[in-house]
Amino acid sequence: MTSVLASSRRAWLPWAVGVLVLAAGFGLQTQLYTDQERVVTAVLMYVVLAQSWNLIGGYTGYASFGQVAFFGLGGYVTGVLMWQLRLPFWWALAASGLLAAGFGALIGLPLLRLKGHYFAIAALGVAEGTREVITNLTSVTGGGGGLTVPTFGADAPTAYLGNDGFYVFFLLLAAFAVLTVTLVARSRFGFGLRAINQDEDAAAAMGVPTTRVKVAAFSLSGLLAGLAGSGYAFQAVNIYPGPMFDVQITVLMVVMVVIGGSGTVLGPVLGAVGLQLLSEWLRANYTTYHTFILGTIIVIAVVLFPGGLVTYVRGGLRTGQWSLLTSIRRYRL
Amino acid sequence: MSQFLQATLYGVLQGGLFALIAVGFSLVWGVMNVINIAQGAFVVLGAYLGWGLATYAGIDPFLGMLVAAPVMFALGYALQRFLINLVVNAPVFITLLLTFGLDLMLTQAMNIAFTANYRAIPTSYASRGVEVLPDVFLPLGRFLTFGVGVGVTLLLAWVMSRTRTGLSISATGMDRGAARLMGINARHVYGLVFGLGAATAGMAGAMYGTVGTFSPADAAHLTLISFVIAVLGGLGNPYGALIGGLVLGLIEAWGGQYLPGSWENALAFGVFVVVLLLRPQGLVGRSYYAARLEV
Repeated sequence: MTSVLASSRRAWLPWAVGVLVLAAGFGLQTQLYTDQERVVTAVLMYVVLAQSWNLIGGYTGYASFGQVAFFGLGGYVTGVLMWQLRLPFWWALAASGLLAAGFGALIGLPLLRLKGHYFAIAALGVAEGTREVITNLTSVTGGGGGLTVPTFGADAPTAYLGNDGFYVFFLLLAAFAVLTVTLVARSRFGFGLRAINQDEDAAAAMGVPTTRVKVAAFSLSGLLAGLAGSGYAFQAVNIYPGPMFDVQITVLMVVMVVIGGSGTVLGPVLGAVGLQLLSEWLRANYTTYHTFILGTIIVIAVVLFPGGLVTYVRGGLRTGQWSLLTSIRRYRL
Repeated sequence: MSQFLQATLYGVLQGGLFALIAVGFSLVWGVMNVINIAQGAFVVLGAYLGWGLATYAGIDPFLGMLVAAPVMFALGYALQRFLINLVVNAPVFITLLLTFGLDLMLTQAMNIAFTANYRAIPTSYASRGVEVLPDVFLPLGRFLTFGVGVGVTLLLAWVMSRTRTGLSISATGMDRGAARLMGINARHVYGLVFGLGAATAGMAGAMYGTVGTFSPADAAHLTLISFVIAVLGGLGNPYGALIGGLVLGLIEAWGGQYLPGSWENALAFGVFVVVLLLRPQGLVGRSYYAARLEV
């Protein structure tokens, strides 16, 4: 809450850093090989997804284990519109974002009445159910055999963006996601979310319209994930229900946000960049043991920094307490 | 008609095995508020133990399961006592991430040790069938796994309500602070619960391997059905797992029989979400963990 009371002397600093990082993103592109460019593109996509989860799981405190539903839905809306109706990508992108946001509001209304882990698993059920529906609507979506987005020749509604194009697309989308979360975090709406996170009854008593605020947050998080899914589907060209609705994507969002620092603007960015780069590096250098090492790192990180890196550093700077055992002392039995 | 009876029989038999797959998951979640993502990996590990014993020592999987159970129990106890207890008071998604990390490690370790090939535990009798009604066959292997599944689940229910250990588990689940004041060693109880969860998963794995094929890639799906069953039935309650398992088994069997494509899966998740919305405490459950105070 300090940001409300603190003087706004250095309020321009985060914005300046943000613009610099964006510029650095464009500068970095000129220095990368094709493979590296693809890796960074994936990192940027995960920044968007992590921020999407951060809105509902980090700020509002409703841990959605079904966030991939929006990603998959966004991807399939784009895929179907471009494949069946030959709509240009940009129209499909807008439709994907809006439909994902609408879906978020629609399922948010009943689901967000559930508390804690009941909400989490109901969201998981919705994601799995959505995948099954998409798999079985064979005539529209191509079913389990997947669909191919037309990308080349006269057949293509929008020409393939190519590696450079998708890099710029996801860089701008990541900037949009970070900007959105920053604005939300500083707004009245964001304070409502944090109040709900801390004590929903108290928030309601203070006049926060909890249902409306929660549904809006869920819908906004759906918009971000839906846009990411739309771009991903166009980039991947061939999309299948399994990979588009992979539970692992949801879990990665959660891991990135929690390890980085949930309920902060910076944490999910650091989590996404750190984890995705590490994962790619392990995949390239230790192919066989890649998943095993990643699992070990997650276990260690969760035990030592359950509050996330950003929270740990902030706490350290404020109190001078840097002991790694603090969180274990706090959470052990 | 015989088609319907056959599907029903198949669903019930499958439900018994489902119950055993999920009962440990439900107990761990209900008592400790730990969502064990590694449940499916435990089941697959149990299947490999049964497979190894059958292949290299010639031990029948229904006996091998009795070896797999204590091994898995020891693994589960050690994991809880020395690792998960370190963060067990953190918000639920922290422990969820921890078990997700364990799941990645276990699944990949099994991939390296046993390859990703699909295997089955061969027996001479599992594929035989007995005609119980005209045109309705009772597959022997599935009948035996059903018996084991229901038997072990009921045994667990008996242990939970009739033995000192079981009562201390229930007490710890209801109010850990009060239980500790009564002299219950909560760290040990938590170890026991996770050990029991792993042991039942291991037995379920050996059963799963005798009636079908398995590979490390199945772990995620097995965790997912444990989720559905535990929530359908009600957390922390062995009878809940039994009901949830039967409901899921029947939905899948009937849906598979009468719906085109794989709509039965969509149906299963639809029922899951509706039950959650109308009766979040599950079909048989009380709200076990949700209602208690943290001390």
